[in-house]
Amino acid sequence: MTGERVKNKTMFIRAVTAMLITALVFVAAACGGGGGGSSSDGPSITVSSKKFTEQILLGEMYAQAFEDEGYNVERKLDLGSEQVMDKSLQDGTIDVYPEYTGTAYVAILKKPPESYPKSAEETYRQVAKFYKNRKDTPMQMLEPAPFENNYGIVMLSKEANERGIENLDDLAAQSDELVFSSYSEFQNRSDGYKNMQDSYPELDFKDIKIVNDLGIRYKALAEGEADVGIGFTTDGQLASPELKVIEDNKDIWPKYYPAPVITQEFLDKNPDAKKILNEVSASLDADKMRELNGAVDLEQEDPEDVAQGHLEDAGIIE
Amino acid sequence: MDRFIETLQRPDFIENLIIHIEYTVLATLIGLLVAIPVAVLVNRSDAASTFAINVGNIGRAVPSLAVLVLMFPVFGLGFDSVLFALTLLAIPPILINAVVGLRQVSAQILDSAKGMGLSGRQVLTGIQIPIAAPIIFAGIRTSAVQVVASATLATFIGGGALGDYIVEGFQRNDTAISLAGAFSVAVLAVITELGFAALERTFTPKGLRIAQKRGRATK
Repeated sequence: MTGERVKNKTMFIRAVTAMLITALVFVAAACGGGGGGSSSDGPSITVSSKKFTEQILLGEMYAQAFEDEGYNVERKLDLGSEQVMDKSLQDGTIDVYPEYTGTAYVAILKKPPESYPKSAEETYRQVAKFYKNRKDTPMQMLEPAPFENNYGIVMLSKEANERGIENLDDLAAQSDELVFSSYSEFQNRSDGYKNMQDSYPELDFKDIKIVNDLGIRYKALAEGEADVGIGFTTDGQLASPELKVIEDNKDIWPKYYPAPVITQEFLDKNPDAKKILNEVSASLDADKMRELNGAVDLEQEDPEDVAQGHLEDAGIIE
Repeated sequence: MDRFIETLQRPDFIENLIIHIEYTVLATLIGLLVAIPVAVLVNRSDAASTFAINVGNIGRAVPSLAVLVLMFPVFGLGFDSVLFALTLLAIPPILINAVVGLRQVSAQILDSAKGMGLSGRQVLTGIQIPIAAPIIFAGIRTSAVQVVASATLATFIGGGALGDYIVEGFQRNDTAISLAGAFSVAVLAVITELGFAALERTFTPKGLRIAQKRGRATK
């Protein structure tokens, strides 16, 4: 009887110990997650990004570059759409995030397709001016990185070469024999498919399949389920020579160069922030970005490690 | 609200709605045709029944999206891949409920049926299946509702259906479009649920219904 009781008591103590340890682990994890850099007494910054690989990578690079300069960085990566990001900047929830010049032009300045500037510089100039002159919360869009993440109309290189398709005019001429795999947003937004059809009137695909997953759209091309697909010019998949981006010879899309958008208030307090961010932007180009996106999307590497690897290679962090 | 109505009025909406219903009906039906015979087959053996239930449970744990992506190289884009994945999803609840339903018929009832000289087949069709009917129907109902909800995944692999709007709204940051899709799916799910509840009542044997009522009254 007593033996039984002792056994019960031991089990009870064990259970309590286990629970306490579990609780401790949770508390430790919470502290580790929340206040990772709280030991340093540099200025604090909240870095954010939208919800896709390239954005998360850019945000992670900004964050690590700031950390290297002694900042306390809070990460709010993978946050939301441009509207969410813009609102968060305005109400001070975040201090900086990467935005594309063309996306800001279309979605934040809310300009129609007819008005798209023809040059990257002009797009940046207009967007930067808009941010600077904002009444409530003036912001700055810093120097864009020297590469563009635009819509990419993609074919297998082999098929494109056999058919002699170099640009979208060539594609439009043969489109009645081709199957296009697209996604819902592109088919329904004003600068998307409609814009493409208006600009290349011959365009009339044999069939359009709505495939709302980027990876599967690329697979569909590889498997011959579709002849033409749509992705983005910095997709990791496009590092492969088997795929070819068909040239948009009429320049129908705005120019989408990624640049940090940061509040003026933060810049005034921390003048060195501009140099830190510009250094990150300058270290990238289209091939590099494809490679980094591919490391995350195709090789399943951790964005944090990929960003760190790049910044170290570029000599931005130690 | 305008965008919500506008989405429902798009010409492709009816098309996608029909595809969604098609997926649901076909997947549930094929699921039924696979699961019920298997349940009947394993009915005689304890080990086989346990095995069937465990396989069913494992089947429930596999994410449909994973099946979709795995089926892509076999069936390609669109309808076939989606139907295959949804059928796999439809089988487990029907199978598990049918196996459990057939086996929970009490041994006394089965003994007295055999004592009356009924053959194994007669016991199955005349006694076991009618008594298990409510449980089997509950399984079919669970499957059908699950398939209605999961058919939204078709959108990722070129299969159309109402998921197109949910994803489009998400991509374009326009909640009204997503809501139009989600709302339609919810309505379909409720209709499915109610429809099967009615079927379940119809197919519950009269004697069993009376017994159920009495049971409730005495409690």
